[in-house]
Amino acid sequence: MSVVHRVRLPVGATPMVEVGHSVEPAEVLATRRVPRGGINLAVSATLRRSPADAERYLVVRPGATLVAGAILAEDNRGRQVRVEEACILLGYDRDDGSAMVAPLSGSEPVLGHVRGNVVSIEPDAIELRIAGALVTGVGGSGNAVHGELRVAVHEPGDELRASAIDVGATGRIIVGGSRASAETLTRARAMGVAGIVLGGVLDKELRDFEATQQRRREIGGVRGDFAVILLEGFGKVGFDPGLFAWFRTHEGRMASLFGDTARLYVYDAGPPPGRRVLPRPGDRVIAHRRPHAGQGGELVRVLDRPYAFASGIVGRAALVRFEEGRTAVVPMANLEATEPLPSP
Amino acid sequence: MTANPVRADLALLLDVGSAWAKAGVIGRVRGRWRLVAHATQPTAWGATALRRSLVDQLAASADPRLMHRLDDLIAGANRIECHTARRPARLAVVAVSRELSGSAARRAAEAAGWEVVETVTFDDGRTLAGRLGILQAAEVEAWLIAGGFDDARSPRALEAAALVASARRVDGGPVIWAGSAALADEVERLFEPGALSVVGNPRPDARREEPAALRTHLAALLREAVTPEDETHLSSVAFPRAIGALAGATGLRILGVDLGARSATRALAEPDGTFASRVHARGGLAGTVFAPGAAARVARLAGDAGEEAAVADLLQTLRARPSSLPQTSEELSATQTAARVQLTGMFEEGVAGSVDLLIGAGQTIAAAPRPTQAARMLLDGVRPIGVTQLAVDAAALLGPLGSLPDDEIGEGLALLGEDLLVPLGTAVVCRGGVPGRLAMRVTVHRAGWPTRLPIEVRTGQLQVVALPRGQVAEITIELQSGVSLGAVRRSSQVQVSATGGVVGLILDARGVPIALPKRSDDRREVLAGWRDSLAREAIAGSERVA
Repeated sequence: MSVVHRVRLPVGATPMVEVGHSVEPAEVLATRRVPRGGINLAVSATLRRSPADAERYLVVRPGATLVAGAILAEDNRGRQVRVEEACILLGYDRDDGSAMVAPLSGSEPVLGHVRGNVVSIEPDAIELRIAGALVTGVGGSGNAVHGELRVAVHEPGDELRASAIDVGATGRIIVGGSRASAETLTRARAMGVAGIVLGGVLDKELRDFEATQQRRREIGGVRGDFAVILLEGFGKVGFDPGLFAWFRTHEGRMASLFGDTARLYVYDAGPPPGRRVLPRPGDRVIAHRRPHAGQGGELVRVLDRPYAFASGIVGRAALVRFEEGRTAVVPMANLEATEPLPSP
Repeated sequence: MTANPVRADLALLLDVGSAWAKAGVIGRVRGRWRLVAHATQPTAWGATALRRSLVDQLAASADPRLMHRLDDLIAGANRIECHTARRPARLAVVAVSRELSGSAARRAAEAAGWEVVETVTFDDGRTLAGRLGILQAAEVEAWLIAGGFDDARSPRALEAAALVASARRVDGGPVIWAGSAALADEVERLFEPGALSVVGNPRPDARREEPAALRTHLAALLREAVTPEDETHLSSVAFPRAIGALAGATGLRILGVDLGARSATRALAEPDGTFASRVHARGGLAGTVFAPGAAARVARLAGDAGEEAAVADLLQTLRARPSSLPQTSEELSATQTAARVQLTGMFEEGVAGSVDLLIGAGQTIAAAPRPTQAARMLLDGVRPIGVTQLAVDAAALLGPLGSLPDDEIGEGLALLGEDLLVPLGTAVVCRGGVPGRLAMRVTVHRAGWPTRLPIEVRTGQLQVVALPRGQVAEITIELQSGVSLGAVRRSSQVQVSATGGVVGLILDARGVPIALPKRSDDRREVLAGWRDSLAREAIAGSERVA
């Protein structure tokens, strides 16, 4: 199977690839020159005119990009103001007769962070076709990372513990279980883990971890990229056993993880177990909200009549036999059918 | 002998939201149009499941001769439909100052229905390069620039425009200049012809804020440029139109709030039918998580929703899975408190003047398990000071009716009569007073009932008096010194009519905004008292006190 990944190009980026090119995660798709800050250039003084009069002799308007040595202003007496380095003209101050420009840095790369083939190049985006599967989550954190998948828990309901992170995890994307603490995430990052895949995590743990990383970044103590993706939800949410089994069969495959957008590409992988709303009796289902969030089971029966839940909400409901042994009535709106993995 | 064919006049009213689809079937019953079936389900379930739900309901009461035709009848019924915009329109705001021009521009944009994805100001603590970098990476459909007062030529405002000119691609979406009028010509020269539109400065000077022109322009731009579909079928347009028509028909000043999964709409309609509306792009339940400190606030205001960490998880769940349902009472409490928080955010500037009728719409309010919960969300979120009738659009009919042509909306509203809204009752909300001291003394006169002793309501209290649907009572409100119903009054006594509803007459002296004890135990006790006061079944002629 294959999926398309879109890499957005910032304004001013120059594509370095062509349609049909095969690219690797660390390959440069485009380059751009980033503004470095603002400096003032004397215009009226150089032209020997009043600040208000000198404005008429600007040859470019604010917002324009100038190459090194380009003329910024020129009057009819042959006087010129040139820029020494490539820059963007931000504005002209009529009071002091200076122009504010933002010099541009050297060329910086725009990476795709995925392995695939370039299928289209537009001014604002490059699209890549990836041979593999896409798994989307409900939330996440962090930059784009790539690495080999490694399953670090035995059961989907297990918590990923800090002790499970060892040197063998360095540079890999770790598939954890139902949750992980801020301590585990911090250790994972410290050990050079590229990313972590979880069923869920407490929102507070994730925010605490992000806050710690932010502080460390500010003092220069964090290097390298790290990302987390949550597949089922926030809180003590289990990892769908079917999806966990799929990850087990793909252990060792390369993957690219985009934490902020909650997307995980697994290369050369078959489709992950699908999801479907409105499950039917006999379907394997996953529940999404408390008190059964993340639990899997079998839908035994859809109730004939609307059911009143403990909250007082009345709605369509189904009887579900959960894998841990309990049977409970769950709102149909909180259930998804999980499609079985195709037979090998 | 051949049987007479049975005729069935049906119409299907559909409100398809981003998370929930609501459908009502109206049919002619003994010569009158009535709501005969209503169903709500996650939008993702699709049309077939929705039709099946409606058929199941109709099967219980329809003429047996129609039984085998119900599915076809609904499929072929006249459809009146409104829906949420398919995706939010995104906008970047670039302004001189965060507090003045930036906040005014941002508020106007959000009120017009735009999602502000980036706000860059010259006092945001970023470097110039940082600002440029953020704007160059922004994925937006339009750009809004603000800054400078109208009587001054602000170089910083011009710099803000130059920042946008630097960061935006040519033909990279419309640009709106809402800054100093003196700079408009210069700013226009920064962009390609036709890209810039100039509107009135929302902060023409340091003391005034005049966002109306900008809001109107942005709302029009949203409809024209970003959602070119038939605008009258957009819920954010249709709902205010229905509120306006209802106000015109009843002669009441009506405030309608539609709290959706993603966005929220408010509409204030005058007795002559004119109305003003605002769309809050992140005002829906899913947007609660984006408000700073939302989890702590919800946990604090709910009292029974669990710890802050659990509430934080729930708010994320509302964002990630907006069409799921709260199964436990803690989750329901947190969800309804999140709704109150979002409503409070929508009405932080208050409502000018008192309103006669406050209508709540949207799944969380209108489909609350108990009417008292809907009343609580409206009262706590909007704080409608004065004497106000409360109602909910339980069957989600206002949106679809508002999508009809102008001359048919009133007819549609009139046809449905009492089925249109579920009246909750009347609320008397006062402000001021000393905590624990008497705030108002209310005497209820009902035809055929003995007049009881006046009810004394102390500041900080909430009381409910039984007043069933269909009943009208004359009430005399005697306000104590320092206590107000909003309007200037000549006498300490106010006499008004109150109409009943499923909750009754609510006497609310909790203040505006509601004051809560600082100690958590005291706060929980007070909150539980208010909840119990609303939840207990009122005995006719008695009051419930908290």
